[in-house]
Amino acid sequence: MIVCSNCKHKNMAGAMFCSECGAQLVGTNELVTQNISTDSLNNIGKKPTGSLTGSLSGADAWASLHLLDTGQVLPLSSRNEFTMGRISEGQPIMPDIDLSPYQAYAAGVSRLHAVIKRQGSQVIFMDLGSANGTYVNGKRLSSNTEHSLNHGDIVALGKLKMQVLVNNS
Amino acid sequence: MQQAYETLANPTRRKQYDATLPPQEEANKLVRHEIYFSRPNLVRMSEDQLLYALLEIAPREEKQESLPTPPLNICLVLDRSTSMQGEKMDILKATSIQLLRSLRPQDVLSIVSFSDRAEVVVPASISLDKKKQEGRIQMMHASGATEIYHGLEAGLNELRRTHDPSRVNHLILLTDGNTYGDEQACLELAEQAAAQNIGITGMGLGHEWNDIFLDALASKTGGSSAYISNPKDIEKLLVDKFKALASTFADEVLLEYKPVENIRVNYAFRLQPEGGAIEIENPMRLGPILRDAPLHVLLEFVISPTAFNENDIITVLNGTLKTSITSNPMPAPPIRLHLTRDLHPQPSSDPPPTRILKALSKLTLYRMQERAQAAVDAGQIDSAVRHLQNLATHLLSQGEHGLAKTALFEADTLERMHSWSASGSKDIKYQTRALLLGSGKKEKAK
Repeated sequence: MIVCSNCKHKNMAGAMFCSECGAQLVGTNELVTQNISTDSLNNIGKKPTGSLTGSLSGADAWASLHLLDTGQVLPLSSRNEFTMGRISEGQPIMPDIDLSPYQAYAAGVSRLHAVIKRQGSQVIFMDLGSANGTYVNGKRLSSNTEHSLNHGDIVALGKLKMQVLVNNS
Repeated sequence: MQQAYETLANPTRRKQYDATLPPQEEANKLVRHEIYFSRPNLVRMSEDQLLYALLEIAPREEKQESLPTPPLNICLVLDRSTSMQGEKMDILKATSIQLLRSLRPQDVLSIVSFSDRAEVVVPASISLDKKKQEGRIQMMHASGATEIYHGLEAGLNELRRTHDPSRVNHLILLTDGNTYGDEQACLELAEQAAAQNIGITGMGLGHEWNDIFLDALASKTGGSSAYISNPKDIEKLLVDKFKALASTFADEVLLEYKPVENIRVNYAFRLQPEGGAIEIENPMRLGPILRDAPLHVLLEFVISPTAFNENDIITVLNGTLKTSITSNPMPAPPIRLHLTRDLHPQPSSDPPPTRILKALSKLTLYRMQERAQAAVDAGQIDSAVRHLQNLATHLLSQGEHGLAKTALFEADTLERMHSWSASGSKDIKYQTRALLLGSGKKEKAK
């Protein structure tokens, strides 16, 4: 008998995948290499920039989001306010920044999770009543309350962590 | 003499000696087969255990080119019930004419249309007046109910008129609706067709048709069903199907086996050329072999503790593979299939073969979808939602974002409405099935 480490379902000996949750039970090193395939990394740079109208270089960005898991940097420019979340089917309101290419679903990002905006030289962050919460440097923000960010702050939408880089020039 | 006796009596020495012998010349000169197991050996256990075997059956390379492509004997059985009116019928007519024009001189295409009764639009015969046939196709008119039995019966009759073992004899059923009350009779017709080496493919249009019935019907002949969500795809699917049929190497592979005590085949699935569950019966109809797409079948065995006796070698399956090579007049000799595993005291630490792992990772997705469907049918919405959410998580990790979204959307719909969205259950079923194609291969081209 093999007990699935993910859902504790008891599988028959010799099973390779959990019959309940589908998690792999054996030979994991093989599939790990498959999961982190490079083409999904290539996608990461391309998809989200489509939702950002600003330049890719980030030279005129007032702030950038550095995704800690993938190392990707999303420059914020051309507008003063961006909503963040993930796009899913049948959803009436779309976030400005779609985080679904960064495993947002698995990380617990809500469809409309938070908003980041510029007010003068300040960068303001606000949770939009997300299910799994928004954290700044590990501290949970209360919903719909504005919070001022500093350069280098770590923001987490659910489990999706990113560092805020503020461009003050 | 004494030395020979000693060698043969001692298993390890015998093995060493056997290894020096040249490999046995395989009896079958037309097809070759390979088998991969999920585990190199079995371990004695006090509970049931699973073993997977991946069976790959392909034409021998030198034979692939030398045999001529077989002539076709195909019957299109088309639903012309009222619901087919408009775009669907127009595309169907245009595609039928296009297929008729693309035939080679040796091919036969007959067309039957049906609603609550059937009529032969184009009878099975070689090179008639094409203009007249096209005219008759244009005259098809949608009205009436859907009764598949009539269409199936008329279609099989047409196929039998020009039936020839050296042709690819195949019936393509295209419908957009449910048939009522004649399912059992249809399945019996399919069994008769299988006995005459006639294959059946079911194509369902839109989301009103019964996928479980079409699958059952097609799998009786080793075929499977296809889902056409958008009428615009009719042409592509039919043209592809014709191409696949024209590249048939063997119409069908039959697996005949002697049941082994305490070991049973729990699940059988064809990964390619067309993904589909295989009915567990004896013999099992595994499906066709195409020239460019070998047959890949995954078998799941359940081995009970009582299967182990004093022997060190366990026979998992003992049977023969019978292939009917389409363009070869001589019947191919059956391939003996004797699947055995050594019994070891300790489980092996070797990782399972990559191709089995990849095939199973995709098949697991398909089976999760099956579970979700079964849970919905049983009214267990919570469990179905959980299965779909799990499915979505795995789809995401495998990079299938679009399908993952569909699965989540359906999970949402189930939670709210306690039923699938109009096309949801079929979308998920056929798209997870499509993921299987090529998953049995060593490297999946990306």
